[in-house]
Amino acid sequence: MRIFLNRKTTILALTLATITLASPSLMTAAKFYSDDPLLTAPETQNASGVTPWKIDLFYDLLSNQFTKPGLPPGSRAGNVNTIDEVPDSSWFTNRILAHPLRIEELVRGPLTSDGPAPGQLTIIRAKSEGAAPGFTVRDSAGTTWFVAFDPKSNPEAATGALVVAMRVFWALGYNQAEFYISELTRERLQIDPVATFQPPSGKLRPMTMKDIDPVLARAAQKPGGAYRIVASRLLPGKILGGFKYFGTRPDDPNDTVPHEQRRELRGLQVFGAWTNLVDVKALNTMDTLITENGQSRVRHYLLDVGSTFGIGANGPHDWTDGYENLFDKDKTLKRMVTLGFYLQPWQTVDYEDNPAVGRFEGDEFDPLTWKTRVPAAALLQALDDDTFWAARRVMAFTDEMIRTLVRTGQYSDPAAEKLISDVLIKRRDKIGQAYFTRINPLVNFSLDGSGILRFENAAEKAGIVKTHGTWSAAWSILNNNTGASTPLGETRGEGGQIAIPRNMPATPGAYLVAAVQGVNPPYAAWAKPAQATFRRTPDGWKLVGLERLTRLDTYEGRVPASRSPVNPAGTSGE
Amino acid sequence: MKLLVYKAGIWPKKCNLKGRTHIKATLTTFLSRTSLYWVVVLLSGALLSAPALVCAQPASRFESIAQEQAEKAKTLKPPVPDKAELLLKKAEDLFLVDPSGFFPYFDSVYQGGGLTAGAGYRKFFGDNSLWDVKGLYSVLNYKLIEGRIVSRDHWDKRIRFGTRVGWRDATEVSYYGIGMETNKDNRTNFRFQETYAEGFGELRVRPWLPIRSTVGFEQWNTLEGKGDEPSIETQHTPATAPGLGADIGYVHSRISAGIDWRTSPGYTRRGGLYQATLHDYRDGGGLYSFQKLDGEVIQHIPLLRETWVLAARGRVETTLNDSDVIPYFMLPSLGSGSTLRGYSSYRFRDRHSMLFNAEFRWLPTVGLDMALFYDAGKVTSRRSDLDFHNLKSDVGIGARFHGPMATPLRIDLAVSNEGWRLVFSGGPIF
Repeated sequence: MRIFLNRKTTILALTLATITLASPSLMTAAKFYSDDPLLTAPETQNASGVTPWKIDLFYDLLSNQFTKPGLPPGSRAGNVNTIDEVPDSSWFTNRILAHPLRIEELVRGPLTSDGPAPGQLTIIRAKSEGAAPGFTVRDSAGTTWFVAFDPKSNPEAATGALVVAMRVFWALGYNQAEFYISELTRERLQIDPVATFQPPSGKLRPMTMKDIDPVLARAAQKPGGAYRIVASRLLPGKILGGFKYFGTRPDDPNDTVPHEQRRELRGLQVFGAWTNLVDVKALNTMDTLITENGQSRVRHYLLDVGSTFGIGANGPHDWTDGYENLFDKDKTLKRMVTLGFYLQPWQTVDYEDNPAVGRFEGDEFDPLTWKTRVPAAALLQALDDDTFWAARRVMAFTDEMIRTLVRTGQYSDPAAEKLISDVLIKRRDKIGQAYFTRINPLVNFSLDGSGILRFENAAEKAGIVKTHGTWSAAWSILNNNTGASTPLGETRGEGGQIAIPRNMPATPGAYLVAAVQGVNPPYAAWAKPAQATFRRTPDGWKLVGLERLTRLDTYEGRVPASRSPVNPAGTSGE
Repeated sequence: MKLLVYKAGIWPKKCNLKGRTHIKATLTTFLSRTSLYWVVVLLSGALLSAPALVCAQPASRFESIAQEQAEKAKTLKPPVPDKAELLLKKAEDLFLVDPSGFFPYFDSVYQGGGLTAGAGYRKFFGDNSLWDVKGLYSVLNYKLIEGRIVSRDHWDKRIRFGTRVGWRDATEVSYYGIGMETNKDNRTNFRFQETYAEGFGELRVRPWLPIRSTVGFEQWNTLEGKGDEPSIETQHTPATAPGLGADIGYVHSRISAGIDWRTSPGYTRRGGLYQATLHDYRDGGGLYSFQKLDGEVIQHIPLLRETWVLAARGRVETTLNDSDVIPYFMLPSLGSGSTLRGYSSYRFRDRHSMLFNAEFRWLPTVGLDMALFYDAGKVTSRRSDLDFHNLKSDVGIGARFHGPMATPLRIDLAVSNEGWRLVFSGGPIF
């Protein structure tokens, strides 16, 4: 039998159909799985089919500067586990903050040896990419090294920055190449008989020492004639080329989270601000194909973190570095029409003059306005929970750690070492102040058998506020299968402790949610709840969920990590 | 349509599009064949059971992520540059790299030729030597063809030398007469064809201390001028246009020395150039031989971290011997996009000239400089008249699109007592 539907019923039917098709929430099963929270990200597929690629430098810069690549901003990080942390993966390994890092561990960092073996270094290749002078050598033990020098204008600056930053970023969790400070003289170099050189004519021919002299001529030389170098070991595995700060690698089956939604990449907005890592681009990254336990997968490196502190490959950072992107439409127009009198902070900020440091300071530094040289999608999409996550790691570096790390730069001028350390400490503190006050700062939630919810205030621990403050918790029971919640009431507490209500469930598998927010907090953002979810297990309550941003905060970009100053309580308009 | 993706997070996943499309198709068929009652009942059932039907729910977070990876493994493809990236790469090869082969060529045949473009072919030999052949053509039918051999970067980049031969044809070069009091409405045109061959060398004892020398032969043949203005011979005589009608062959020797501490002649924000050049033009017949001395001082002063740059140039061209006869087309001149920008090309000619350019430059963004400028200058028949009285001047504003070492495009808008002029140039003014 066939009937015709009138308009009203057609709309009804279509509405129902639309709801069915479009409502993902109705298709959702359990909110938490039994294995939540994951501490290691699964990488289940064999990635042996990946092929090397070369990302064009200019295309990468132009597309990032003049387009908005990647998914629309406003989405929460896609690779965090249910307790808002980044699981270990081929991108990232939890180190500082995840467990106590000993000073020796920090100093060792990613290093596995003592650097190039003594004896002759055989040049096997000229440097093909990057602005810094350098070449590729093989040491007497047969190991391949990339050699880079300091620019003439800034002895010790680039090499020192590189080895310090390598350890900093390793401690933060990134895969790092091994960089060693060493020394060489021209006499220590020889040319591999099969090494070739490409002159301006473009025709490859056998390399001679005359081809190396222009490289050495650009490098800073020590009084005795030797050159201070930084030697980086060839990465293990097959070299695949860099990764972009948006999208995924189309040939890597395990690369399913768009890079702009990876929290460890978003966190570079904070880590970069701290260390002044301005040159964030695909060319400074590297993917390699490694095989472990019989399975091939892609490992991702932040390869070149040398453009940090006050120095770049060829000299001090540009004046605008850290303050402006290469192109800023509004500022460009304003400067055009004001004959350049639309002045910006970078034009007047005061730098201590030290060639081994370059342009690096902490007094005028503002983490909320700090910028990479060219925008990077992942950094631009950082939300307040991403920057909070990153800021916690920065704040985990103690003064002693920082000074020890900077000492590994082997600066001959103690003033240079002190300057970098002092500035890093200042910038670290500013990062804590900026990012711990933009979002609910409670961490380390636990619910013990005595019925006490315990937590810490990261801002108090960092000295940003003197007292822990008063916090209230709104309790509810979560039906993990339907997502429905049943309110249980509200309790309050001080000193990082709040008693739980009496009528809380005790059956294994039950889920209890505590939405904890500040009571008359000093910062408006602290009045928004951090929502901790616990699952009842035979051993007690286990933290399985933590959210600092509600979906309303993030969806459609309502609360991107805006660069506006933090409003104190009562003036935020919230 | 881009889906927001929540991977390992605690928020709900979205089902894949394939499943939705399938259901949509099924419902459409269903609606057309079934009664309203059953539509509503079955849709409601579908609504409630859709999750189970469409999304095969994983049992764990691990499994959930593994499913996504397995799904992607079915659709892997090698990374391929998109069209824009390929296009840019080609452009890079063409303009930034220096390979052997064909290349586009942008330069001027002769001032006043209008929009000009061309192409060339280059072939390297050895490490740093090349020969090339290139040609240019302008909208005013100016033409140039030139071949050259250049060898550079010898002795630690201190020596460069080469040779070039060429021919050019400028069809409507302006001539207003001699001196500063000529009338802009009295423009006449002449045409010349120059054939030249020369050898040149440059030595930099220090990178900032260049010494250049050139010796060559130039054959100048003048012809009836083209264009809307009358040809020169209809308005002038040898008395008002020395050398009118003469075809002259010169052995031209030139030597220059100076101090050059600019970052690059093509673009700089600091440094200066202080240079003198001596020209010796020796005519086979001796009638039109002359010597000329050019002096040029350029200074760039950056202010407030290169927020602004004060840039200035002073240039004097002077004929050394008062008794020498200089043909009208070889006289020092002012007026053009690189001298007095508010005046047309070759607006003023005489035996001596003096030019002053000052620019207040500001840098709105990387790759773009703006400038307010002032130009002033004069030509005179006597060297002693080279003073600051009765200068012709103009003012204007400009934009320069540049790289670290070159200025591919300069646009200047200048105004003088003879009106407005818009200048497009492929290089810095100084």
